[in-house]
Amino acid sequence: MSYYDIDSILTDAEKIPCTFQLDIPDLGYLDNTPTQPLKAGTKINLPLWLAEMLAIANTGDIEGKSFVTFDLPPAIGNDVVQALKADPRAVPLRDQSAHFYGLATHMMELSEEKELAAALRKTFVTRASEIALHARKVGGVGHKVKADEGSNLGVGGAGEEFLRGLDEWERKLFRKAHEGAKAGKEWMEGIKKH
Amino acid sequence: MALPLPPGLTHAEVAFLAEMELVTVVPRQRLESIDLLSGKTPTLRPPHRADLPLWLALLLKKQRRANILPPAWLHPDSLRSILLHETKLDPEAFSPPPPAPARADPARPGLARRQQQQQEQRESGGGVTLSAPFLASCTADAPAGYLPYHWLEVAEAMLAHAGDDVAASLGSGSGGSGGGGSGSGSGSGAAGEVRGLLRDLVEVRAAKMRSSAAKLEGFGGGLMSLRGVGAMELAESRGFVLGVVDGVRKIGASAEAARREEEEERMGEGVDEGESDEEMGF
Repeated sequence: MSYYDIDSILTDAEKIPCTFQLDIPDLGYLDNTPTQPLKAGTKINLPLWLAEMLAIANTGDIEGKSFVTFDLPPAIGNDVVQALKADPRAVPLRDQSAHFYGLATHMMELSEEKELAAALRKTFVTRASEIALHARKVGGVGHKVKADEGSNLGVGGAGEEFLRGLDEWERKLFRKAHEGAKAGKEWMEGIKKH
Repeated sequence: MALPLPPGLTHAEVAFLAEMELVTVVPRQRLESIDLLSGKTPTLRPPHRADLPLWLALLLKKQRRANILPPAWLHPDSLRSILLHETKLDPEAFSPPPPAPARADPARPGLARRQQQQQEQRESGGGVTLSAPFLASCTADAPAGYLPYHWLEVAEAMLAHAGDDVAASLGSGSGGSGGGGSGSGSGSGAAGEVRGLLRDLVEVRAAKMRSSAAKLEGFGGGLMSLRGVGAMELAESRGFVLGVVDGVRKIGASAEAARREEEEERMGEGVDEGESDEEMGF
């Protein structure tokens, strides 16, 4: 992952729920109480990059407490994972988070979630074959004009709902699959000309 | 960033490479041997068949100086049997590539050996590899019922530029085999039949490519078998396949790292235990 990878940067900006373990003076404004210190046990949503730093950083405390502990964000919470296990295709991942897989893999690096990894993998491959199906359909006989304009998401019909629910990884995958199918179609049509 | 092209070959490049495949022609005019970079072409004498690179064959065909003999696997019966294999016999894997060319072994009659081995023996490890452009997989002698590496490109080029030859060979071919099933109608209709079968094959195999992505599901089973996939299909699905495999790798990365750590720890423990056992033994 590149330093300048915009998706990686945006993934780091996703908020995750954190619980402060220590009283921290002058940070009360985070909890809308600017006059008081931030109390231990306060729950606040912090961006991923900050939460990671605070969770790992050494406070100098003898008990080895870190500043915050974090939970899994609701986007990869239990009910979402259960829904994905039931039918990966039916969940619009984009509604959970635009960088769903990026967020999930980052969270898995921080805390071990074996079950989550298996569920995600199943979700990804199942949805991938569905994506490839839609990518092939686009730019077919009915949608030739749209495909030539290069609108990747201008699909009519039943697939539209599914394609709107793709997260960034899946959109990239869709674009790649679509470019391949489109190039194949163009070659097929152009073979007579030369 | 530098080049907008995706990794791998584009369709045009694959089609260009496919033009190096040898095909069989029946010349209508004499033509002396031409000294090409890839070697000398055979001298063309009208009634005798000769193997030429596809690009030269197409050029001669356009100038009406030769007719192209389509390979046996392009016959509708062969295509239909491949389609049957793809859909009914083995709905999971792609149909196998043609077997390596074999030649009867003079020392042991009744047994055939792979040509590659023989050539390697003859040239004592001269590094002869019989891969795609050097295999005569698109000549008239090519076996029926197997799709070679460049099947789609060669078939499309032949249908586009030598459709009448394809149709003509169908008439004589089915007559020769005797009751091959299709009592081929008019010439263009037969070529259309071939074209339709090719379209079916493309669709069936594209569906397999998609479903093979879903086979990456379980941990440890992270393999997609691409045996028997043609060059053009690879060019088409390269981006998708690489994307899927890369995504699965990223999702499994943390679990993989944890597993490695565990393994290393266990190895370390094992060594420690071994040492302690030795100590206890002594």
